[in-house]
Amino acid sequence: MIEHGPLLERLLAGEFVCAVSDDNAFRHLANEETRDAIDDYLRPLNRRLASNDEGSVYFLAWRQLNEAAREQLSRQLSDTVNSLLPLLEWLQLVQEALGRDTLAAPGDVLKPAEFSAKCEDNQSLRERLERLATDSFFGSQSDQLDAQVKQLFKRLKEHGYLLQPHTERQVFVVTGKIDYLIEVVRFIRDEENLPIDAEREEGAQEALL
Amino acid sequence: MSELESRLLKTGAERLALLGKHAERLMQGYTRDDVPLDGLNDSALRKLLAARLLWRPDEQSGVKLAPKVRELIAEMLADETRRHVNADVAETLELVRSLVHSYREARSRGEHWRQEQQLLRLRQEVDDLNGRFADAIDSLWQRLNSDFGFVSQLSDKIRENDRAQKQIVRLLDGLALIDFDELIALVGSDGSLRKLLISQLQQRLSHHYTSLREVQRRLIELMARFRKQQARSRLISGMVAFMREHPGFVPSNYAKRSDVPALFNHAAPLHAAAAPALDRALESRVLAELLHELPTPRHATQTLESAVPALTPEDSLAAARQQALKQDVERFYLAVLDQPPAKPISALAYLYDSQLDWPDEIWLFQVISEYQGLPRSEQQAFRLHQDESPASSFNDLRLIHDVALAVAV
Repeated sequence: MIEHGPLLERLLAGEFVCAVSDDNAFRHLANEETRDAIDDYLRPLNRRLASNDEGSVYFLAWRQLNEAAREQLSRQLSDTVNSLLPLLEWLQLVQEALGRDTLAAPGDVLKPAEFSAKCEDNQSLRERLERLATDSFFGSQSDQLDAQVKQLFKRLKEHGYLLQPHTERQVFVVTGKIDYLIEVVRFIRDEENLPIDAEREEGAQEALL
Repeated sequence: MSELESRLLKTGAERLALLGKHAERLMQGYTRDDVPLDGLNDSALRKLLAARLLWRPDEQSGVKLAPKVRELIAEMLADETRRHVNADVAETLELVRSLVHSYREARSRGEHWRQEQQLLRLRQEVDDLNGRFADAIDSLWQRLNSDFGFVSQLSDKIRENDRAQKQIVRLLDGLALIDFDELIALVGSDGSLRKLLISQLQQRLSHHYTSLREVQRRLIELMARFRKQQARSRLISGMVAFMREHPGFVPSNYAKRSDVPALFNHAAPLHAAAAPALDRALESRVLAELLHELPTPRHATQTLESAVPALTPEDSLAAARQQALKQDVERFYLAVLDQPPAKPISALAYLYDSQLDWPDEIWLFQVISEYQGLPRSEQQAFRLHQDESPASSFNDLRLIHDVALAVAV
């Protein structure tokens, strides 16, 4: 168990562990015996190891759901729901600004400078960025583009969606928590029977916007 | 060399040379609808048409590149958007059959030269067949390895991937048409035919088959990835659109369900805190060592005085002026005390006499406030007379013109 000490600390601190955030730990977690050992260790703390459907990210779940745990989960759910729109809009904005044909996925490298430059040249992107940065989730107080972008990346890093491998370098990597976020969206769509048809043509979706 | 063969060589070489001579024009035709004809004389155009490098669908329309030339260019450029994949096995097999028959006929008649010719054609056909498979497989790998980078939209990539998969199915169908039992029966006991059509062909085709299966597997994997990405994009844009349309949307509270969905059961953070403990003798020594090893702070500790809130230079200047005014006023009070009792001194007169440069108003204000700031017992030692008048007959605001201070009797 000793060798998993740092991993346990990160998990207990509420972090999501994926192949990007901790490749080594993630490989250990792929082993069922390791997972069982960690689960045994966590038992007295009323926690257990959990993962998303895809198995691309691990986190800790409550083992027994008591009233206090449910309260905490309710608050957390409401935070998640409140942050959903700004996060999803950010994903779309990044995709469009960088001219990519897919959404940012775990392992993708993002450079704030590149993002700023693209938004600077395009009035509509600039406006969307401004609106997003001043959203309470991102909470930028500045009207400077660079400062807004910086704040965006800072908040996403704080929330574990991005990782900054070198603190002195402005290069970020998308983590597996993005997968988790998308599964949350999918779950809400299915559970609430939202009229979002995954099979609909993209053109029709864009027309809706 | 027969006359026919030499004429064939000559014409072929002449026509191939046309490709080089009109290379730029032909390339323009490749990238556009029509081949531009400006600057091209009639005889040159006739030659190009005769060589079937160009063709004209009808009188009214422009001159177009012949399909074979287009294919050749696409092949040469590895232009994956336009490269065709076509192994056309059935026709080759027909040709092989008839060539084998005519080869055996020539052999039975002892026509050695014709036999050689048929064998050469057979070799060429088999090479062509191989070449077509190899080309097709090469084109497929190229597209796969570039992640279909020649189209930018994900939906186009999905369509291209789909097209590539269909091509593979056709190529595999083509391979399945080659029945080696039939070929064995066809070649009989002829050694050179057996080598060409059975052992060599079989070896190469099995190689193609393995490659095709591998490309197919990878294409399917890639397709799954594309589809997943596409589904994600659609899900996200759909959700964003929905949430914008319904700003008040709140999903039900999954945390209150008897069975909380796994995705939402994320336990509260727990920090594994620890503090130095001194209850174990051995460890306290280690802790003491650690304490000694603590680096000395780089900056000297700040003294208490210097830790007061910072004063701006203007503030300290104003305070100094205020202090000077206060001292001058105190000297005025001392001067009053030096006077015989009950003899008042005008504050303004003192100000002018002492040649102090305080403005009158500030001076009077400070004299009055000094008086009011005295403890009551000391206040009684002085008598302050204000020389004042109303601001106007309608305004009872009192204006102080001067004050006179005397020691009370």
